[in-house]
Amino acid sequence: MKFKLPATMGSQYLVLIATIVLGAILLGVSSGGNFFGPVSMQTFFQFLAVPILIGLAQMITLAVGQLNLAIGAIGGVAACLAAVMVADWGFNPWLGGLVALVVGAVAGIANGILVVVTKINGFIVTLATMTVLLGVQYALVNTRTISADNWKSVAALGKASWFGLPAIFVIAIIVAVLVGLAFKFTTTGRHLLASGDNEHAATLAGISNDRSLTIAHGASGLIAGFAGFVSFASLPGVNQSVGGDWLLSSFAAPIIGGVSLTGGTVAVFGTVLAAFVVRLVDSARAEFQLAPAWVNLVIGAVILGTVALGRLRETRETAKAGMLRARVANHRINTAAVENTAAEEVKL
Amino acid sequence: MTHAASPAGAEKRRQGISFRRYLTSPQSFLVLIILVLVAVIGAAKPNAFNGAFVVAPLLTSIAIFTIVGLAQMMVLSIGQMNIAVGNMAAFGAMFTGMAFDLWDMPFLVGLLVGLAAGAVIGGLTGWIIARTGVNSFIVTLAMSFALLGLVPTVYSMLSPGSAFTSKPDGMEFLGRGTFLDVCMVGYCGPAAIPVMVVPVLIVVLLVGGLYARTKLGREILLTGANIKAAELSAIPTNKRVVLVHAISGALAAFAGILLATSTGSFTPAIGNEFMLQSFLGPILGGTLLAGGYISVTGTFLGITLALLIRRGLELFGAGVEMLNIFLGLILLVALSAERIRTVRRRRPSQAPAETPPDTPSEKEAIPSGASA
Repeated sequence: MKFKLPATMGSQYLVLIATIVLGAILLGVSSGGNFFGPVSMQTFFQFLAVPILIGLAQMITLAVGQLNLAIGAIGGVAACLAAVMVADWGFNPWLGGLVALVVGAVAGIANGILVVVTKINGFIVTLATMTVLLGVQYALVNTRTISADNWKSVAALGKASWFGLPAIFVIAIIVAVLVGLAFKFTTTGRHLLASGDNEHAATLAGISNDRSLTIAHGASGLIAGFAGFVSFASLPGVNQSVGGDWLLSSFAAPIIGGVSLTGGTVAVFGTVLAAFVVRLVDSARAEFQLAPAWVNLVIGAVILGTVALGRLRETRETAKAGMLRARVANHRINTAAVENTAAEEVKL
Repeated sequence: MTHAASPAGAEKRRQGISFRRYLTSPQSFLVLIILVLVAVIGAAKPNAFNGAFVVAPLLTSIAIFTIVGLAQMMVLSIGQMNIAVGNMAAFGAMFTGMAFDLWDMPFLVGLLVGLAAGAVIGGLTGWIIARTGVNSFIVTLAMSFALLGLVPTVYSMLSPGSAFTSKPDGMEFLGRGTFLDVCMVGYCGPAAIPVMVVPVLIVVLLVGGLYARTKLGREILLTGANIKAAELSAIPTNKRVVLVHAISGALAAFAGILLATSTGSFTPAIGNEFMLQSFLGPILGGTLLAGGYISVTGTFLGITLALLIRRGLELFGAGVEMLNIFLGLILLVALSAERIRTVRRRRPSQAPAETPPDTPSEKEAIPSGASA
């Protein structure tokens, strides 16, 4: 259970921050300063909320050594159900928003229970629930786009700004802080990390792994539902494409941010920073008017690079440590031999 | 498929229960469900099995998706997964399309170019996994997104309408021809069986033969069952991982090319539907996610079942959303059933209490079933 960051992690944060600053400067220069204009900054932060939230949602499942392919589908169903409730069935917009959160939590807990009860690989379970939820999402909205004019009061929150930043971005940061605090200071958070790090040891320590898995999937679903709510509030309209492109960035943020895939670690700050990087790539794409396909290409390459570099560094370090150990051992043997011969010489 | 890992003393006991074991195997269960489904669909819609219009397209898609399932099964056999299977199909098909459209190659040469491209991209993926030791899920996920970005970009740069539409001789015959076109001594075959079945059958036999008959296949399975033991047995596991991913990429490309020949054009959308199906087939058919056990017939039957259900739902007028919901639910139900079967089988032998119920013990479920 490594919560205190090793030195290499600290340098990883520095690299991420340097990348963000450099990327922002490059974008600013190439856009002739437009990038730092108030309107452009507002959109930048507004569309940063969702990458942060889905990155956190994925991070929580990674912390227990699971993964959640259904994040996009959960967020999509949450947003679409809220939209249909408000626009077609005449519910209060805020009730619709609340339902989005409930849907997310329920779907997440269902994932968790399925994983625990059937003992099937979480990958397959969430692949199956993702397919089911995509069907539900399509059944809810079909091919139409439900306009945000139907829920003006909630959409106002999506456009509001607090302390000069978009309200939804501030909320996403608050969620990130809460998640970070929960992992650091609550017993449940520590239990999740223990289960993710070593299932067997956690059982011996009296921690229920089943409970950890259910809670992690439930929390992941809740945050995915919240990301659905943010889309519901901030997008000009909701249709079946909501959540469709979340899969990559949900994995990109935690992995670039330094979360281990095998479980037992979290990196809230790293995840948020990596979400910035993902968003920067997206802005650069818009700035240079490239096809959206380029974002996938670049981020795919960045993930591969990050993971491969981290792994290579790790193996090089173990090799170095091994060499050091060998040298020490060699030295010891030699000194022993030297002492032996010296003793024998004395005897002679 | 008999299992090499079962203890020699169990031979006699195994013979006693082999018939029962055969009946309770996932494969015979699948055959039963498929027969029931065919009967139900046939009874409800008497014209459902009109040869040329229903059976031939169904067999075409079964042929294509069986290859997709095998591409995934290869990687599952070493305990890894290939998220990029659909994108590798698109990548391979793109090269075949380019070979036809830009380089005016004949059909077979273009096909080989596509297969080689698939093998190269698969081999590269395998090399990254073997070299860095990173989880195959992440490497193939990243690869899938890299290809998802690359393929449409190349199409939009090289072709006017984002599609390659040249049709060299032979493409129409392989993609849309049925045995009605194959005439010998004045007798033509049935219109219900597409020509595509033949090359697919050959590939299925080759893959089956690889696992059942060759040393290489055994080594791949051992790599999947226990990589440390495989290494200690002097198996070059890294080479096997690269090889398996290369074959998987080539198979995916083959499926993509077949799909393109059956629809008539090479587009970036090829392979979009492959990912879910590729897992559905092998897992329904009894292939273990943990590696070390595969079933080629099971994969074929699993794909057949999934596509039959799909076609049945379409015949009864279900929309896209219902198809998705049903496919997801089938996957869940099938897996739960498999889990119940494993648990029931293990109960008589009473697994030691201190073994945590995680994947390693699950891996022994099938061999230990022989001695139960």
